[in-house]
Amino acid sequence: MSVTVELTYDMGKELGEHRFELEGVETVAEAVSRARERFGDKAEAFDQLGRLAAVAVNGVLASHRRGAKTRLADGDTVSFVKAAAGG
Amino acid sequence: MIKGYAGRVLEVDLSRQEFAFADLDEETARLYIGGKGYGTRLLYDRTAAGIDPLGPENLLIFATGPLNGSVAPQSNRFAVVCKSPLTGGIGNATCGGSFALGMKKAGIDVLVVSGAAPQPVRLEIQGDRDEVRFLDARELWGRGTYDTQKELGKKLYHAVIGPAGENRVLYAGIVSNERIAGRTGVGAVMGSKQLKAVSVGGSRKLDMEDPEKFKAYTKEVRKLFADHPVLGESMKRFGTGAIVNTTNGRNILPTRNFQRGHFDEAVKISGEWVEDHELKGVKTSCIHCPVTCGRDVEVEGKGRVKGPEYETLALLGSNLEIGDIKRVAEWNYHADDLGMDTISLGATLGFAMELHERGMLDVPLSFGSAAGVTEMILDIGHRRGLGDDLADGTMRMSEKYGGKEFAMHVKGLELSAYDPRGSFAQGVEYATTNRGGCHVQGASMYMESTGPLTINPQNLKLKADIPIVQQNLACAINSMVLCIFTTYGMIPKAVHEMRPDSFAHRALVKIFENSGPIFRTVMGLKGNPMMWFEKWLTYITGTKFSAGHLQEIGARIFNLERMYNLREGVTGASDTLPPRILNEPTFDHMDSGHPLPELLPSYYAKRGWDARGVPAPRTLEKLQVRL
Repeated sequence: MSVTVELTYDMGKELGEHRFELEGVETVAEAVSRARERFGDKAEAFDQLGRLAAVAVNGVLASHRRGAKTRLADGDTVSFVKAAAGG
Repeated sequence: MIKGYAGRVLEVDLSRQEFAFADLDEETARLYIGGKGYGTRLLYDRTAAGIDPLGPENLLIFATGPLNGSVAPQSNRFAVVCKSPLTGGIGNATCGGSFALGMKKAGIDVLVVSGAAPQPVRLEIQGDRDEVRFLDARELWGRGTYDTQKELGKKLYHAVIGPAGENRVLYAGIVSNERIAGRTGVGAVMGSKQLKAVSVGGSRKLDMEDPEKFKAYTKEVRKLFADHPVLGESMKRFGTGAIVNTTNGRNILPTRNFQRGHFDEAVKISGEWVEDHELKGVKTSCIHCPVTCGRDVEVEGKGRVKGPEYETLALLGSNLEIGDIKRVAEWNYHADDLGMDTISLGATLGFAMELHERGMLDVPLSFGSAAGVTEMILDIGHRRGLGDDLADGTMRMSEKYGGKEFAMHVKGLELSAYDPRGSFAQGVEYATTNRGGCHVQGASMYMESTGPLTINPQNLKLKADIPIVQQNLACAINSMVLCIFTTYGMIPKAVHEMRPDSFAHRALVKIFENSGPIFRTVMGLKGNPMMWFEKWLTYITGTKFSAGHLQEIGARIFNLERMYNLREGVTGASDTLPPRILNEPTFDHMDSGHPLPELLPSYYAKRGWDARGVPAPRTLEKLQVRL
């Protein structure tokens, strides 16, 4: 099973990639954990920059489903999203 | 005269080339503030039902409010009101730049333009001498908005149209500096009057009730803005494009003519990307605004020009599946120079691409390809070839070529860049807003899906309440005339700094989401001014304004707009969303689209309207809406 992870712009800029695939993750918690591990010694930056970001699965915030326990399906997109305003 | 107002309305008749100054009506100012509210009242009272929006009988009303001419941040906007040639209903748009300041310096609150000139003219208004000159504009006719303003010089403040307005492109706008009153075709109305430009100036100063309090408080607000995560940080750093990655992550970024809400290349058209790769040194703002949401970019062959805003990045970017910021910036430049609304333009181009994809229209435009787009934009602005059809907008295109089920408009006005299938309150706002499918008549999405209060945007809770409160507030804001972005500062910094997964944040969200009627009740309370715009109005005019006062005034304006629409045949039947939005799911847990049929009756009832979307007599009476 493969999911796509999209980081916030600041996270991607600091960590070197905005978008990547993860194999074999079944929940949001696993996806976040595996994404964090991916950046090795930059894990602290991952935590710091992701602190104010919510996690969405295919556009729906995990907090509106089962939180970290939300199950993932093959092809899902897990996005880190910040509050923002546009016009 | 009430403080904050110049006290004068300038009436200009282009057919007779005559002008006259009249007193501002104080009672109308008390009931409708100014700007959009005052303009709507005038339009309702002084035009007959069923007029041709592009005929000389339509009025083109430029209106300021009591905050204009002050140094309050975000306060240099003017409203334009007329009958819309795009929707056939109420037409209005607001614009930053500097023209509002020019009007107040000239001692003019409202400029009413009637009739039509026999050949291209421009107006030059010297407020200090009570002088209005009707000048030959044939030399300027055909020239772009950048060139025209350059030619007019810097001694006066200008509002101009480009070729799109001259050619009556139904979504042409009116430009001041680098900003545009973009929506509903106000530029086409100006073009129909053969009015190329209005230039205005003078040396009058704003008379305030309590200038000392105003000055001291404005200083505080500037600090508050500077420290605010949206107004002082993300918008200042990245402009309105800061929201691209958020709407993409929330699956509400229009992609492929709203077929999807997610674009894999979104990051390359985001505000952050522009900051890192394209920004050319200058961040720009309207006069006296510290937010500086504008930014310059380089366009090949044109030099440094204003960069695209969020709506443009989405409608000319993801909506066409173009992830190339340089192309979007180039198209934005052409649209600005031609003087047309990039929201309607992008939506119409997306619609044409889908027609082509389905074999319904022979046009050299395809999703994901920049080929032919520049040429088509120029053809639209000049109404050449097939561009002549696209210049009429999505609704009319769908009537001619078919495809109504994927024509993305409400009441004829193309949808903005927040897909309502992931933002239910925004969908109700689009459906019910009197000028059509627009986001800045309430910006409900900020309260449910893009701002820091991450309530569930896909259940029914508050989804009829948020649009009412926000539409009312926006009507009041657009009548002061203040920038709608000021409302983004209403959610305090402390909320922005909460971790979304923290207990405190989750509790706050739950309380808000379940507040039911309490939300509208609290927003309707009349008391002392709390927000900065309430205090500014109070200090300037000497009349006490609070959230409740603004809700009441806003509701009055909104209901008057509704009555105008009904008079013009734009009924509650048009309070709907495009079939694609209602029927096609973009989220895997959805069986269908936006649940508007479940929400609309509740919205109508809370507005005090009947089941057909008509305001009840007692509602109008309570709000003092005179017909």
